[in-house]
Amino acid sequence: MVTRRGPDKGIVDELTKEFIAESQEGLERMELCLTELEQRPGDGELVSEIFRAVHTIKGTTGFLGFGRLETLAHAGESLLGALRDGRLAATSELIGGLLDLMDGLRAILRLIEATGAEGRPSADEDCELIALLAELKAGGGGLAAAGEPAPRSRRDASTSTGSGQVGHAVSRPVGDAGSAGLWPAPAAGPSTQERTLRIDVEVLNRMMNLVGELVLTRNQILQSAPGAENFPDLARRLDTVTAELRESVMEARMQPVGHLFSKFPRMVRDLARTCGRQVRIEFEGQATGLDKSLLEAMRDPLTHAVRNSVDHGIEPPEERVKAGKPAEGVVRLRAFHQNGSVVIVVIDDGAGISTARVLAKAIERGLATPEEAEQMTGREALELIFVAGFSTAAEVTNVSGRGVGMDVVRTNVEKVGGSVELESREGLGTTIRLRVPLTLAIVPALVVRSGGQSFAVPQNSLVELVYVPRRDRESAVERMGTAELYRLRERLLPLVWLDRLLELEPSVDAAAGFYIAVVESDGRRFGLVVDDLKAPEEIVVKPLSGALREIGMFSGATVLGNGMLALILDVSATGARAGVRPAEEEMKVVGAEAGRGAGRIELESSMVIYESWKRGESWKRGGSELDEERGSASRGQMAMPLSAVERIESVPLSEIEYAGGEAMLQYRGELLPIEDEGGVLGEMSAASGLAASRSMERGPGADGCRDGAETAETAPTLEALKDDGGRATVLICLRAGARGARRVGVVVRRVLDVAAGTLLASDRAEGEGRLAMVKNRVTLMHLERAEPAEEAAAAIFEEVA
Amino acid sequence: MSHAEGRRADARGVVSICSLRAGMGLYGIDTRQIREVLGKTTPHRVPLAPEYIAGVVPYRGEVLTTVSLRGLLGLEKWAGTNCVLVLDDQEDGERFGLMVDGVGGVMTFEETALEANPSALDARGVALFDGTYRMESGLVVRLDPERLRPSRLAESELFGASKQERPGEQR
Repeated sequence: MVTRRGPDKGIVDELTKEFIAESQEGLERMELCLTELEQRPGDGELVSEIFRAVHTIKGTTGFLGFGRLETLAHAGESLLGALRDGRLAATSELIGGLLDLMDGLRAILRLIEATGAEGRPSADEDCELIALLAELKAGGGGLAAAGEPAPRSRRDASTSTGSGQVGHAVSRPVGDAGSAGLWPAPAAGPSTQERTLRIDVEVLNRMMNLVGELVLTRNQILQSAPGAENFPDLARRLDTVTAELRESVMEARMQPVGHLFSKFPRMVRDLARTCGRQVRIEFEGQATGLDKSLLEAMRDPLTHAVRNSVDHGIEPPEERVKAGKPAEGVVRLRAFHQNGSVVIVVIDDGAGISTARVLAKAIERGLATPEEAEQMTGREALELIFVAGFSTAAEVTNVSGRGVGMDVVRTNVEKVGGSVELESREGLGTTIRLRVPLTLAIVPALVVRSGGQSFAVPQNSLVELVYVPRRDRESAVERMGTAELYRLRERLLPLVWLDRLLELEPSVDAAAGFYIAVVESDGRRFGLVVDDLKAPEEIVVKPLSGALREIGMFSGATVLGNGMLALILDVSATGARAGVRPAEEEMKVVGAEAGRGAGRIELESSMVIYESWKRGESWKRGGSELDEERGSASRGQMAMPLSAVERIESVPLSEIEYAGGEAMLQYRGELLPIEDEGGVLGEMSAASGLAASRSMERGPGADGCRDGAETAETAPTLEALKDDGGRATVLICLRAGARGARRVGVVVRRVLDVAAGTLLASDRAEGEGRLAMVKNRVTLMHLERAEPAEEAAAAIFEEVA
Repeated sequence: MSHAEGRRADARGVVSICSLRAGMGLYGIDTRQIREVLGKTTPHRVPLAPEYIAGVVPYRGEVLTTVSLRGLLGLEKWAGTNCVLVLDDQEDGERFGLMVDGVGGVMTFEETALEANPSALDARGVALFDGTYRMESGLVVRLDPERLRPSRLAESELFGASKQERPGEQR
């Protein structure tokens, strides 16, 4: 039993694998309990739980013949036994010691998993730890460490044939307890935990039932004659069974987010110690399910976010007290489902992010010019944090501030099709919102045809579709050297011919019209020229083998509704291969040219005229007293350059959501802040017999300031609104910012007209509003801090998807 | 190699070989290594893929990379219908397809009848062929699925070479 296998084999048998998975789970529970125990030292239930975990490891380990593990577990068990019997008190040193023990056990487990053997402790690693545990046990009074100086010699003899190259990770000086949680040893390859999954037997039974049903249906179909009468019935049944089976498999893949959260108490505890902070961590929504693979993908970004919150967010206790906050900071992790995605929010009540400091840093790092910085809104400034190489930490600490940070978080989350948002209020705290799709396996996509083949373009990278008819074929494409461009709303869009890029046979009818799918990914925006568009479909992503992944253009394949295969295009790789530059660079070039024009929109341009605030109601903002002078007919009238308006949408009131008192609209998988200058929303809901909530009353003035903390309390009152059938007209506007254009929804009472207008005067009150002559009438222009005009590519477009 | 062990394990020392055609040649693969034969299937072409990859075929919820035997042998593309064999590689569990012109019958050979590759064989042949069986009508070249794995082919310089060189090469 002792010499089980050579370490070179690297293969671990089933029994051991199971043991490792089980033990790791046990240790995870133990970790959680330990951190909780620190909060509630008297809790006997917790101690028992920990005891059980260690005891189980000890028991199984002896049976499997892992002597080293057994010794360690035994030492821990006897200490825990004393704790359970009340002979010791759960002091923080004791908990520290137990955490060390846990790390020790974990390191050995990892070793077993990697090499199949537990290795021989080099020097006195285990010894030290065991001595520490014994000391703790003796130190607490009660029983002396008499029979306890672990029987090492015997163990050494029986320790397996472990390899010599092991010896690390186990021993750790007591004072360094923090480092374990901070820099977990990088696991080589996926660990057992990532490869195994625990499923509720109920779910498994249901799946088996459904599979049985599937077999029965298949039998019936096979036996039924061609053109049988009951065929539609059978088809329907097959459909139901398939849908249910899919659902239950998805359910089985769903893992509670709590698994992800479980390691944070320990990490936060250790971090807080290292940084000299007092931090409490709170959870909410641990039961929220998320696809297993995504759960793994979220692990690192979330760790990063939490680490940031503790290190950068929460202030030292003295500072907190000075600021009138409790000395102990709170980091809250919340998870919930929202419209087919899972949102994980990390909220801290720390210092928040200083926009001024961010901007200063950005200028220092050359990420923005002082002029640009001046024009940025708070939100845009926060976006800078996501730029690679940005770190605001005043000094580089051990924990973070190495310049890799939020950009990595964003990249990783975006890799799995998610998004990251950041909100911060100076002095009050920061909220990081990670949004990930429920599953990676099924994505909405548009099927396009090129060179006689079908390709799927994921909807999330699709911006718009343009049809170029046959007669415009020649004139539509402009050439600059070898580059071909399309003028889309006065902006040049690089074109990429999919068939040429993929070396496909050119389409049969060279003179026919073509489609341009305007796509954007990784900051690259370009027009993908295809022959034809097919229906949008929810496609099931099938991975490609390594040999085909190497091509780098396809992220997978899928079977279409008609049974044909289609390859899924990796939009960003396509752009890169075609040599399309990411927009940031492009923006800089454009920005440099536009800079001379200093944010002045062309004198003659098309404008959307709309009614914003209530007629007769005086509007006293930005020092404007227009309504006194102008006729009452023009009172409610405002204009916006057509180029800044992307779409005009009629949105049911119920779809406008509120977060932190901010109106938001989910628009094509994007969260748009809603601006409601005229208080239209409040009025509409009031009109429908519902009390306007307080957040709405703040509406008119609140467009600029973002609530840092999640104020979920406002939600219940607003819930009532959702039943209302009213519809609001929202202009979807594209605003250029430092980091690419951003969409904003502007609520208007109604759209009046589109007409050519002339700008009369420039900025009267810092972009608050200016005047234009539209249809021979002076009209107030709606303009925000950021100039919308130049780069804003937009107007009303045909939506095909 | 696992299949070699499997062959030896056969009590009577007999192997059954499924015969395949590609161009003028007759080839064979041990039936135990064939999972399924998909008749008359044309793989979905993958643009920019190396010449020896015929494309992908859907198979039981998976998308299988399919290797073209003609492509591997440097033969012209075949205009007629194709057959795709689904092969399982026992070692890595990699499953892939092999596109051939057609599949013939199953023949049995004595275990010992396999003859080694001739020394005059070119590098490409050495990389692909396992040996030959002699029949009255001609030779059956035995293929080893292990050597046809797309991932292994991609590593090999012989086949992973850029496609510009392809058409000129002839056996």
